[in-house]
Amino acid sequence: MEQLVGVLNYIVFFGISAGIYAVLALGLNLHWGMTGLFNIGVAGFYAVGAYASALVCGLPPSAWDARIVGGFDLPFVVGLLAAVVASGVLALLLGIPTLRLRADYLGIATIGIAETVRLMLKNEAWLTNGVWGLQQIPSPLYEAIHRLTSGYLRAHPDLRPWQQALVSRAYNGFYLLLVIVIVVILYRVLRRLSRSPWGRALRAIREDEVAAAMTGKNVFAFKLQALVVGAMVMGIAGALYAHSARFISPASFEPLYGTFLVWVMLMVGGSGNHKGAILGAVVVWGIWAATDFLTGYLPFTATQVAALRVLAIALLLETAILWRPKGILPESRGKRPSHS
Amino acid sequence: MSLLSVRDVHSGYGDMQILHGVDLDVNAEEVVTIIGPNGAGKSTLMKTIFGLLRLTRGQIEFEGREISGLSADRIVRLGLAYVPQVDNVFPSLTVRENLELGAFVDRHAPRRRVDRVYELFPALRPRQTKRVGTMSGGERQMVAMGRALMLDPKLLMLDEPSAALAPNLAATIFDRISAVNQGGTAVLIVEQNAKESLRRSHRGYVLAAGRKCFEDEGPAILANEDIGRLYLGGA
Amino acid sequence: METLARIPQLLVYGVVSGSILSLGGIGVSLTYSVLGFSNFAHGDIMALGAYLALALLPAASALGISGRPLGALSFGADFVGALLLAVVATCAVVLTLDRILFRRLRNAGRITLMIASVGVALGLRSLIQFCWGPQPQYYSAKIQRAQVIPGLGVKIKPDQIFIVATAIGLTLLLHLFLRHTRIGKAMRATADNAALARVTGINAERVIVWTWILGASLAAVAGILIGIENKFIMPELGWQLLLPIFAAVILGGLGNAYGAMVGGVVIGVCEEVSTAFLSTAYKPAVAFVILILMLLVRPTGILGRRG
Repeated sequence: MEQLVGVLNYIVFFGISAGIYAVLALGLNLHWGMTGLFNIGVAGFYAVGAYASALVCGLPPSAWDARIVGGFDLPFVVGLLAAVVASGVLALLLGIPTLRLRADYLGIATIGIAETVRLMLKNEAWLTNGVWGLQQIPSPLYEAIHRLTSGYLRAHPDLRPWQQALVSRAYNGFYLLLVIVIVVILYRVLRRLSRSPWGRALRAIREDEVAAAMTGKNVFAFKLQALVVGAMVMGIAGALYAHSARFISPASFEPLYGTFLVWVMLMVGGSGNHKGAILGAVVVWGIWAATDFLTGYLPFTATQVAALRVLAIALLLETAILWRPKGILPESRGKRPSHS
Repeated sequence: MSLLSVRDVHSGYGDMQILHGVDLDVNAEEVVTIIGPNGAGKSTLMKTIFGLLRLTRGQIEFEGREISGLSADRIVRLGLAYVPQVDNVFPSLTVRENLELGAFVDRHAPRRRVDRVYELFPALRPRQTKRVGTMSGGERQMVAMGRALMLDPKLLMLDEPSAALAPNLAATIFDRISAVNQGGTAVLIVEQNAKESLRRSHRGYVLAAGRKCFEDEGPAILANEDIGRLYLGGA
Repeated sequence: METLARIPQLLVYGVVSGSILSLGGIGVSLTYSVLGFSNFAHGDIMALGAYLALALLPAASALGISGRPLGALSFGADFVGALLLAVVATCAVVLTLDRILFRRLRNAGRITLMIASVGVALGLRSLIQFCWGPQPQYYSAKIQRAQVIPGLGVKIKPDQIFIVATAIGLTLLLHLFLRHTRIGKAMRATADNAALARVTGINAERVIVWTWILGASLAAVAGILIGIENKFIMPELGWQLLLPIFAAVILGGLGNAYGAMVGGVVIGVCEEVSTAFLSTAYKPAVAFVILILMLLVRPTGILGRRG
């Protein structure tokens, strides 16, 4: 029974991570899948969202022995809002100089913004506490649920150990539920958006920018809107990550975790398809987690195995590009404006 | 036996079929003009002959030898040369480099071939170190033809050589085409405004909607009132 | 006042690191203009070259090449031998990648190729980490004494003179290659007008192979020069180089090899001079700021043409 609880616990933990990645993949799907915006700096928007929410919702710095500006102890919803605004503003600032140019420029500029964000997180210690990161980030409703569960445990002292373990970890289950609810809401909103005239315009731009411009669409404005909205979604993912991990530091937003994995997820799942983005997140995070188990079985050091896992992810990306360029769940044909 | 023989050619871009069975012959040392309205498939035919578009049905033979499916460099070696209608020069290269690239497939091509092109187009000689991108439309057309003539092709294919040129320049270009032909090179020309071209051609074809619809001697086509009204902007 | 006094010295450092960035940028520019995509793996190809040189140093010694330092330089002839071996090995890796990956994507479009190159960047980096570990690998532990250039009051190390001389020499060689050889002209023609190059009978695949060879060779040498200058290399090197190199390429006009050369020196100098005013930690961000300013003011680059 204890083992079962352990497995369940792992699944909950896995689900939270996969769900946060699903949010990132949905954001990237709006950028790349729907609009064709080549964003390889997902980590930047993700990090800014995480830090914004953590600073707004965090405990006053005196509570954890740090000297930073921030820590206003505000509710989670405010943090979420702050994350959305911060990531959106960053995207706006980045989009204005780059979106009139070819995709290559946006690509390199997004790498630049992600790296610059990371440098600032490391070096602007007055705001971010530098490499030590932000600690003791409160999780939403943690106190309330903790009171409930500990009250229940006190009232039922005769519970078996596995039952105790289950109850005492109920908060993780709640957080998973929260993540799932947010994924579902975002999925529905994005699906609605993509079926609207706005979404059709984005796809028309993706297929042929010149033709879209000739039908009188303000291509730049549409691209900017898509970049900002997608970045906002990535900001939400950042907030969800910060409040679940409760500790964030610049190392959490390395390009591998913040950007590459998300790309592989979208390419494997099916870019242009919201369900594909979510599925890709779950599948690729599953593969990533599964390769972790190999560590003990391979005749290499831990760091070598870590490198092999990344290599496997890179190979997965190339495999998808070569043999299944539309992903597991391709964008439905009806949605594609036909070429002419 | 004709130099170039095109039989029942079908081709197009991707899913879009443009040629629906074209027949055409060019004999050695002959000038042939293809005329027809915009979108009739004239340029498509040229690209198909040169192997740039995939043949979906039919045969293309050059000197009795099937050339469809051959790579462009093999086709160049066999003695065909092609001057596209637009983007037919290397703009950031000099005149001389453009010409030398015309002989790319033959690494032992004698240098005097460049001089022969200068003899044909004397205006190019003093400008040989200029970048072609800085030159006028007429000069570019000369460079493009010069490049195609570097290997002494048996058949020169020209896609709208006089399009976008002032009338006096167009006349010069057609003069040069005649001169090239007098040297023994067969010429296949696609033209939209084709009176001048037909006047200088031995034979002409009318292409419409991806099919050959008429064939006659050049001057006879010019004299044909229906064709004049339909394709040559009035007789 | 003290800040201003440091600037001449920083200019020297800037030219040294800028000449390395130039070599990297020229490679990016070549692949961009011939193959038509921005190769985001280029930084990691440079890093690979730097690691291969270290790995092949014993092989060079085994060939009987002397390890005695060359003049005032910190390395011997065996290291130059290792450099050449590393160039060959890097070319082999890159050509293999072209054969198994990029070649199959020739018609897949520019952006698919870019995504594929991001995957290659990730793969090369993890391979480097697998073979050599995440810790720094040292090129030379020796501290080299800088020499004062008489009359200018700035110092430069013999190794740094070697770096700048190598960069200038290779750039000149490349220039001569592109101007005067048959394949060089074919490369320029393909970059200029790929469709016409095909009609002219230029074999596109051969041109592409040569483009990779030139780009990978310059990348490997540039990576090795970074090892000489910094004394050590790390797996992240490639990814960190990407931003300054692309900034250099865009500054010079995407696809313009000569522009990339100028752009590299400009970025190198700006990065170094910025340290007089800004925390050294922000050196990598300087390239980004220049890039954004450039995109706002003149997106075609300093030497770029329209289009």
